[in-house]
Formats: sequence, C-alpha cells, structure tokens
Amino acid sequence: MALLKRRHWIAGSLAALTGCSRDPRAEPSAVSIARAAHYDGQLFDLIRRLLIEQGLDVRGKRVVLKPNLVEFDPGTTINTHPLVVHAALEAFRSLGAAEVRIAEGPGHRRNTLELAEAAGYFKTIPNFEGLFTDLNLDDISPVRLAKPFARLESLYLPKTALGCDLLVSLPKMKTHHWVAATLSMKNLFGLVPGSVYGWPKNILHWAGIHQCIADLHTLFPRAFAIVDGITGMEGNGPIQGTPKFAGVIVAGRDPVAVDATCCRIMRIDPERVHYLQLAARRGGLSEAAARQTGEPIASVQVPFELIPQFRTLRLGPG
Amino acid sequence: MDPATRLLALQNPDGGWGYRGGNSWTEPTACALLALEDQPQAAGAAARARAWLQRLQRPDGGWAPHPAVEQSTWVTALVVLLGMDADRQGRAIQWLLERTGEDTTLLNRVRRLLLGIRSEYSQEPPAWPWFPGTAAWVPPTAMSVLALRKVHKQQPDSRLQQRIEQARQFLFTRMCQDGGWNHGSSRALGFQIGSYPETTGLALLALHGVEQARLARSLALAERYLQECRSQEGLSWLQLGLLAHGRRPAAPEGIPERNPLETALRMLAAKAAGGRNVFLE
Repeated sequence: MALLKRRHWIAGSLAALTGCSRDPRAEPSAVSIARAAHYDGQLFDLIRRLLIEQGLDVRGKRVVLKPNLVEFDPGTTINTHPLVVHAALEAFRSLGAAEVRIAEGPGHRRNTLELAEAAGYFKTIPNFEGLFTDLNLDDISPVRLAKPFARLESLYLPKTALGCDLLVSLPKMKTHHWVAATLSMKNLFGLVPGSVYGWPKNILHWAGIHQCIADLHTLFPRAFAIVDGITGMEGNGPIQGTPKFAGVIVAGRDPVAVDATCCRIMRIDPERVHYLQLAARRGGLSEAAARQTGEPIASVQVPFELIPQFRTLRLGPG
Repeated sequence: MDPATRLLALQNPDGGWGYRGGNSWTEPTACALLALEDQPQAAGAAARARAWLQRLQRPDGGWAPHPAVEQSTWVTALVVLLGMDADRQGRAIQWLLERTGEDTTLLNRVRRLLLGIRSEYSQEPPAWPWFPGTAAWVPPTAMSVLALRKVHKQQPDSRLQQRIEQARQFLFTRMCQDGGWNHGSSRALGFQIGSYPETTGLALLALHGVEQARLARSLALAERYLQECRSQEGLSWLQLGLLAHGRRPAAPEGIPERNPLETALRMLAAKAAGGRNVFLE
C-alpha cells in the first residue's frame, strides 16, 4: 500500500487517547464474568453492574458500541444478540454518557441496515436507525501503523470510531475457522471500511489475519469489551457453526485479557492463539495475568467444539 | 419530490455525492452521474460532478474511492462506464486490464502449488479485486465486465473480449448452489454458502447475453428475491439484472431510499425499465 503523506497521518497515538481507562498493563487487568441464562430485560442491570464493577467513568463521554453483525440465518446465532446491544446502550446512558451510538461495518453484506433489520435490531432497539452508523460508508481518515505486525503500514478507518471517547467491542463468543476464536479483538475487523477495501475486507486476510487483529488492537488498545457469551457458536464459526450455550457475559477494559478469559471459558488455550500471543507480548496470557471477578472461570467453562485444525489448541484439564 | 430532484438536493458543493451526506466519494458520484446525465434540469450538476471525477483520476490511470485514499481501486470500472475523454478513458482501461485478483497471479499459483494449498475452485480464470493486491470477487468483477463490454461495443478489442470472457467464466465458477451469487465465496471448508439479492442482480446484469438456459435457476431466484428484498439497493440491482434478461420485474413498493446511492440506483433501474439500460449501452 502506498505510504501516506505525513499531513494525512493520524498517529496511532491519537487512537490511544480514546477510551477512559488506565494503562491495562500497569497491573493485572480486571475481567468480570457474570452468569446470564437468557436474553431478557435483566441484562440491563447485569451490564450496568459490570460497568460499575470495572470502574468505568463515562460521564460526558461519546461512546460507540460495536456489535458483531455478519450475516443472518434464523437457524443459528451469528450476530451479537440485539438485547445485549440494547442493554449496553441503556447502561451507558444511565451512567451519564453524553452520546451512545451503535456502529458496525459488516464484512460480507453491503446492505447493513437490511441485515440489522433481519437480525432484530430495529425491532429491539428504539430509534435504531437514528442511533446507527454504517462504518462501511462512514467518512474516513488515514491512520499510520507505527510498528505493524502485518504487511500494512497504514489503514483508512472510520471517523466515528476514531473520534469517540470510548469504543466498546460487543462480540459474540464464537469459534472461527481461520483464527480459532473470534471475540472482542477480531470484532474490530468491522471497523475497516468496505467503501475503501471492499466486501469482504480481504486486504486483512492477505496482510495476515492474526497480525491485522493485533494491529487493530494496537490502534484501539483501550477499547472496552463486553462479550455476548449467553449463546455462542462452536465448530465451523463464525457463520456456519452450531449454537452453543455458555450462559455468560464477560467484560473488561483490556480486550486481550477479556479474550484470553473467553478462550479459557471455551476451553481453548489462549497462549496458543497467535493473535493473542502477538498482542500480549508484554503482558502475558496466563490466568494470573488477569484478575477475575464474578464467577470463577472453572465454574462456567464449557468446551466449544473445534474444527480439526484447531483441536491442538484445546485447553487441558484445569 | 421526484428522485432526480432528491438526488440533486444531496449534491455536495464540490460536485460529488457522499454515501450518506458528508464527504464526496467516487462510487455514489459516478452512480448519480449515470442517473442524472440525460436529465435536462441536471446539466449544471452533472458538469460539476464530471469535473470532480476528472480531478480525482490518479497518475496510474485509475480512480481512488475517496480523495483521501492514495490507491486506485475497483471504482475505476464505474468511471469507465461513464465515458471520459479519450486520454482519460484509455489510461483507465489500461489500468483495468492490468489488474487481476492476487489469487490468480502466476506467483500465487506457484506458491500454492509448492505449499500444497488447495483452492475451493478448480478453475480460476482471472477476474478483478476490490482493492489491488487482494483476491478477485464477484461485484468488482461484474462491474469491470460491464465497463469493458461498453468500451468493447464502441471499439472492439481482442484484449477486452478475452478479459470479459474470462471474467464471465469466473462468475459461473462462483455461482452459489442456489443459483445466485454472494460476494464471491460460494463454498468454504466444504460447506455451501448462500447468495445475496444485490450481488445476484449485479452478476445477472454482467451476464447479459448469456443463453437463458444456463441462468434459469438464477433468474427464478432473482424473481423470488425481488419479492423478499428489503433494501432499495438490492431491489435496483435485481431489477437491472432481470431486465437485462428480458424479464419484466415488478418490485414491491414502499421500500425507502436511504442514501444518494440508493436513489441513483433506483433511477437507473427505472430508466432500464423504460428501455434505456445505461450499463448495457
């Protein structure tokens, strides 16, 4: 990719200003695990409690919620459940956020709103269209990657994501046929605009999927993560897998720690997931590197079926 | 307010159109210009749009999707459809002819062979990527076919003819089991993947002139999609694709246009229903 002119660069450090948290590597990152048996109205209280537990101060902040919207198939569980997104929206509002928007740039479908309608977002979230930004069609800024893992020196990214105070990644807990697990970090692929790179965002595959996940994390290191792990997906995810009940919501300020914890819940060894290895170079991925609150991992662990090439990543007995 | 007036009201002061307001982008601007150029009341707006696009041509002959992007991409095909002056058009066509999906380059074929990487597709004729250096996909390939066909009809050229035929083969290799098309991945890890309305319509448009028997399932699917689709963009491509094969599709009413691109596509579909399909002229 052509080098960008200096005047066009928004240094990666600008993105580091987003978010409302302390340096996640200064001490073990807190990861909250809460049981949630159903998609229902109680999710608002649960997510609000997790945000308070995480000490998140969003008063006066502009918050962007980034769910995972990929495809719609009524027979399975591809997308972040709209009730989780609605609960998060109301929880951030109740904690004093100045503005909460929902934003996503699906990787396959151009008609994002049609997809959102099929996935139940219009029906569940009042004024959804007014709150929503299609990141595939948003205005963009070039961003330079200072020390990229992938073969990309720069990316064009949507201004809605670059300009918010707190980016909240709201993924579905799923296995993934290329990278083993797709969670809060992989969910950031949806920030990369289709209007520039196309549908799918194939440039991320050619540059190295694991490396690009780590690079996007570098650009948004303090994104907050809330993982919809009530009913996830196992097997040939992220689209053609099978629904898998795990009954949890997992949240935290450090996406690496949150994703490592989710891997443990799915009985995947996070220390052997390459993008987590790259992103956690300094912080480590051991269980001790995160301070778990709420439910202990062991009490909510449920093995997600893995396709054959990832069976070596199965976490051994605890 | 009629669609042309709505579209004109959304034009940016610089002459272009945005996807949803905001900065001008090449794709909505080219589509708006295709839709408006024969409208007498749009002459001034069309001239400003054309000037905006002309300023955006890059030294390599292609167009970037947005002024901030320093890379020519698939949108070059859309601008070729508009027709530029001979020099601009010639350089743009050359840019298109020099592009193929990275997966079909000799280097990558050899690499896959050496590494024993098996492709989902046994036949992989060259086609077009969205963004240089990446694989070929259905929408940029369909749009490039339409652009090169238009040029080839005016100035027959064997190089164009060869790329058009190869690209059409590519579209057939990427047809989904249901007869339609998605972004271009009809199979993955042995699983069949379903099609989408908008890409099915666009692929059918690019396959204009192909014998109907080869497309019977695709046309039947497109007619079904036309009754189910809830986006104006999808409906417009379906209508354009069906009209290209002699069908007279009646689209459902009341589906909103959500941005200038959808308004432009709706106008182009209406124009095609009236007998003038600008993608096939």
